[in-house]
Amino acid sequence: MDGKQVLLHEDLILLNYEAESKEQLLQKLSKILRVKGYVKDSFTEGVLQREIIYPTGLNTNGIKVAIPHTDSIHVEKAAILVALLKNPVTFKEMGNGINDVQAKLIFMLAVKDPSVQIETLSKLMSIFSQKDILINIYNSTTTKEVKDKLSKILA
Amino acid sequence: MGNQKRIIVACGSGVATSQTVASKIETMCEDENINVNVEAVDIKSLESFIDQCDIYVSIVPTGLKDWGKPTISGIPFLTGIGIDEEFDKLKEMLHQ
Repeated sequence: MDGKQVLLHEDLILLNYEAESKEQLLQKLSKILRVKGYVKDSFTEGVLQREIIYPTGLNTNGIKVAIPHTDSIHVEKAAILVALLKNPVTFKEMGNGINDVQAKLIFMLAVKDPSVQIETLSKLMSIFSQKDILINIYNSTTTKEVKDKLSKILA
Repeated sequence: MGNQKRIIVACGSGVATSQTVASKIETMCEDENINVNVEAVDIKSLESFIDQCDIYVSIVPTGLKDWGKPTISGIPFLTGIGIDEEFDKLKEMLHQ
């Protein structure tokens, strides 16, 4: 298996998604990955804990982003879950831990082998400094549209 | 040529963010013909690397630990916000 393995799946793309809080959001999203066999039971706790110590919200221009993830020991198969939130959910800012981030675009990363997935993840993160792309992805109306746009970026 | 400066970027798991920031800094330095060595590590192994580096790029909340090294924030290199200012700071540190 080379680095071009498919990390995006239409059934891991969620539109108009809603959650009451960051904790509830992380639990719900982890559960989807768990039910589909991408992560272990321990992933949920791992993500929640890591988010407290090393928050993943980013005050990006255009649409605010969060990239919750955790150590690869909790992961079975690599994947990227994408959630476009109907209403923003408050995360803490990465590298800071104090500022709030009203995130509307969530990329939950299930990373199995960092050395293999790094190229894809770097490409994904390169869009965080590109306001128009973030807005464009957020304004998608179908899961296929999101997948196509992201696939092009990650290719 | 002077001695090559070492820059270390660390994030929570060394999985993604530190690598992205490291490659961005590397590219920006190359563009200005600045000769540096940029490495990404996870925060747990930072302890064993920190002594060998000249500048530390932090992506974890500051205040967790002071490493006693010139430090800049890695976040602007991810979000693009304030990136010029942070890069200027880095260049200033490299000249010292």
